[in-house]
Amino acid sequence: MLAILQSEWFKLRKSKITLLLFVGPLIGLFIGLTGNSLNVGEQMNQWYAPLFMMNFTYAILFLPLITGVLASVICRYEHQEGGWKQLLALPVTRGKVFLTKYLLLILLVLFIQILYLGAIYAVGTIKGFTDPFPLTIVWKSIIGGWVATMPLVALQLWLSILFKSFAAPFAVNVIFTLPTILVVNSERFGPYYPWAQPFSMMYVGGSTDDVFFIPWDQLLTVVGGGFLVFFLCGYIYFQRKPI
Amino acid sequence: MEYIIQTNNLSKKFGKELAVNGVDIQIPKGEIYGFLGPNGAGKSTTIRILLGLMKPTFGNIAIFGKDLKSERINILKKVGSLVENPSYYPHLTAKENLEAIRKIVGVPKTRIDEVLKTVRLQDAANKKVKGFSLGMKQRLGIASALLNKPELLILDEPTNGLDPSGIIEIRELIKSLPEKYGMTILISSHLLSEIDQIATTVGIITKGKMIFQDSIEELRMFAQQHIKLKVSQHERAWRALLANGMKAELEDGHILLSDQTDQHVAEAVQLLVQQGISIYRVEEDKKSLEDIFLQMTKEELAG
Ligand SMILES: Nc1ncnc2c1ncn2[C@@H]1O[C@H](COP(=O)(O)OP(=O)(O)OP(=O)(O)O)[C@@H](O)[C@H]1O
Ligand SMILES: [Mg+2]
Repeated sequence: MLAILQSEWFKLRKSKITLLLFVGPLIGLFIGLTGNSLNVGEQMNQWYAPLFMMNFTYAILFLPLITGVLASVICRYEHQEGGWKQLLALPVTRGKVFLTKYLLLILLVLFIQILYLGAIYAVGTIKGFTDPFPLTIVWKSIIGGWVATMPLVALQLWLSILFKSFAAPFAVNVIFTLPTILVVNSERFGPYYPWAQPFSMMYVGGSTDDVFFIPWDQLLTVVGGGFLVFFLCGYIYFQRKPI
Repeated sequence: MEYIIQTNNLSKKFGKELAVNGVDIQIPKGEIYGFLGPNGAGKSTTIRILLGLMKPTFGNIAIFGKDLKSERINILKKVGSLVENPSYYPHLTAKENLEAIRKIVGVPKTRIDEVLKTVRLQDAANKKVKGFSLGMKQRLGIASALLNKPELLILDEPTNGLDPSGIIEIRELIKSLPEKYGMTILISSHLLSEIDQIATTVGIITKGKMIFQDSIEELRMFAQQHIKLKVSQHERAWRALLANGMKAELEDGHILLSDQTDQHVAEAVQLLVQQGISIYRVEEDKKSLEDIFLQMTKEELAG
């Protein structure tokens, strides 16, 4: 398993993805530095203003979209010139290959989230905030956002294995991601829409009673359930795919 | 006998069509097994199934005496393969391609330079494979297959796209492997001449069915030679030979003698001369392997 992971990372590392990993945090940084208009009450921690603005674009659009792009990249070179048949004729099980690709993807998303954390910190430092850095809240947001992408990553990995083309899984991703802007404002649909979960779980104004910014039952059913369905579908599909 | 690959009633359906139909392959250890068949015969499909890339519709497969279904990983550890067009990662160099495989099969790094040298690709080792010619890609594919020092090498049309000197080079390389490393090799081709020059055992498949499987010598026996006589009155000559207890056939106005010992031929000629028949030509009639192959596949179609 470790050997497969090393091989996967080697192949991915050589495919110029490093730039992709920095796009999101840089967008966040840019928004955080330029947006000045948001007016929060005097009592609120200074850090909240840029957090709200940055999270909005980052968690609604960027994070769901990048999962799709990364999943496509990690499958693209397998589709291109017979990579699948070469890889699967080696002494590996399909289950381990699928799991490894998934693992690598969520590790990359975690890495992006940590860079984003760095971007938040940089914004405050540059702007000279004097309030204490709301570490717990930010961590909740970072880890929460990461957990919320897990079902999306599973779905995108499945679609990227299914479709040879780069465009098809991306189109699906865009189609489901764009409505998020509307869905997050809906009390009725917001909690159940998988693509809205990264935003909900990164939303620092949310309820702070639970470990994350969404209630446990929502986390378990929507995020956990979504993960289970998408992951199993992808896993089973890959097991049966004739190569 | 110890078989490295043994299949039993191996079959694969695509929709309603049987692309592989009840194939029993038996490959003894140390043999170079030539898997021969025209385009679309089912060679690549069979090879895919042998590597576990596809599941057979029915039939069993044992490799190294182990069941493929239950011991796939252990089997594949000792197998090197090249299926259809060479596979590679275009964004990596030749060396990096091998490194990606090496990390999984776990051989020392020095092995990469060894196999690159074996297929004479050292000079292009650090070039992106995207820009390789077909022949270079094919060489890289063979290098990948050799990387884990396999006991069984499965090569699907490995000389595709190679130039004549490349073909000879790769052929010599493949021929040397069983002796040097005790490898057993399955090599497919749609060219009989190719198989004739490399294989020790031959399996011929057409329309998914195995129509011949035996040693290359047996195949050549099919090319049994005849002595062909061109004479003045062939009907009468033929009857005269039969009347004297000699085996002869009549074909297209020629007489064919299957017993080609000098003595037999001399007796036949003498007899015909005594009967007052003029003999215009006495020649050897050798069927090429190509003829036999065509004949076998035709018989299969008719039957
Ligand atoms: N994935 C598939 N789906 C449907 N039919 C297939 C598939 N793969 C192969 N076939 C069919 O199975 C038959 C055998 O194909 P196969 O590729 O095994 O032939 P082959 O002997 O390797 O031919 P060639 O010499 O051209 O490589 C063909 O009729 C082909 O159309
Ligand atoms: Mg083929």
